[in-house]
Amino acid sequence: MSGFAAVLRKDLRLELRSGESTLALLGLSMLVLVVLVFAFGAARARSFDAAAGALWVAMVFAGMLGANRALLAERDNAAIRGLLLSPLEPATLYAAKLAAAFIFMAVAETGAVVLMVLFFNLDFDASIARLAPVLVLGAIGFSALATLLSAITGRTRGGDMLLPILAVPIFVPALIAGVKASAAALAGAPLASMADWLKIMIAFDVLFVTAGYLLFEHVVGGD
Amino acid sequence: MSAPVVETSGLTKTYGVATVLRDVQLRMLAGADAFIVGGNGAGKSTLLRILAGLEAPSSGHALVFGQDTRSLAARYRRRIGLMAHQSFLYPNLTARENLEFYAELYSLADPHECADQWLGRVGLADAADTRVRAFSRGMEQRLSAARAMIAEPALLLLDEPFASLDHDGVETVAALIRGAVERGACVLAATHVIPDMDGVEVAVFEISRGRLIQHAHKEEVRRGGRIRSLLGR
Repeated sequence: MSGFAAVLRKDLRLELRSGESTLALLGLSMLVLVVLVFAFGAARARSFDAAAGALWVAMVFAGMLGANRALLAERDNAAIRGLLLSPLEPATLYAAKLAAAFIFMAVAETGAVVLMVLFFNLDFDASIARLAPVLVLGAIGFSALATLLSAITGRTRGGDMLLPILAVPIFVPALIAGVKASAAALAGAPLASMADWLKIMIAFDVLFVTAGYLLFEHVVGGD
Repeated sequence: MSAPVVETSGLTKTYGVATVLRDVQLRMLAGADAFIVGGNGAGKSTLLRILAGLEAPSSGHALVFGQDTRSLAARYRRRIGLMAHQSFLYPNLTARENLEFYAELYSLADPHECADQWLGRVGLADAADTRVRAFSRGMEQRLSAARAMIAEPALLLLDEPFASLDHDGVETVAALIRGAVERGACVLAATHVIPDMDGVEVAVFEISRGRLIQHAHKEEVRRGGRIRSLLGR
């Protein structure tokens, strides 16, 4: 547990010091939302479907950027080798990296939701709170997938380009479920009506958190 | 007789068609101090990485504490310290934060106190709160030595430990190596510089064309003009 806490604390300290990931995530989220709100035009203003879609596009783009950065600090001075040589288990390292990626993404999501409400002229009411479980599940799933994939792509030439090519198609089931559940939440639908979409997201999260936990040792080991 | 800390047999490493290490046989006991010399690209760093478990041999065996280095469990990794070409340090953390982080990874008691002690030992107490990105190469090398030794490993693998160090730095790191040997650690260093190791018996190996050859004394290697000694007479 101390290894997990040490890596997480170190990652948060590095992020607080530079602010690189969080600021980039927020900036990119804002850019995507601005572009989409103009693309949709006045006809789609106050559309829950359009707002939910724009929110998730922003999240996926921002999440990709965050995931790329999650293991970047470990590549400076080959620090990843210091971690692999230490008594820290690779699975624990994965858990800590996943937790850090989730925290960065959650901060970016919070900002993106505020921007979505403003740009799509929505109300700050209970429907926004109903988004929380959907966004938490989405952030866990995307962080789990992207942390695992970034450990692979980071070792390859042009890995930054490779990550979105691999991650987005795999994330599609959770992305569709997230958009549908978010639109329902914004429309004020009861939680029960979102249950099927949430189940898909839970299944996606369990699958990729487990896969990352089991496979991280093999993808990061030869770094 | 105690079990060897390091034992290799038929150790061979190839990259594509290039054979870097060829049938390397090495056996070291606790408290042994050995230096490996050899030209650039001779395979010294590769041998150290294999012993640390960071690379797998192409054939043959490398055992550390009796365990195959391909699958070293955490309790064995804990007992290995590696000082490599790269420092494994985080440029945006201060020297103290870096050492505290590694002290926590190794579950050492009082990481803060531990970090301060090691900063003093490597002569970086005044730079404790400076970010590593602002360090000179020599300062980073000193901090890297502290990082590798912070958990007082039973096996210390050092890759060019004296590179970029000034005279004081070489003496400081040499003293740390002597201290490690005296407390019973097994030290294996790949280097072009063999400092004076007063009171410590030093074995000298040379890697030539992928083969490991043991020399009786460092003078034997020095006569061949293959190493220089900064502090040795």
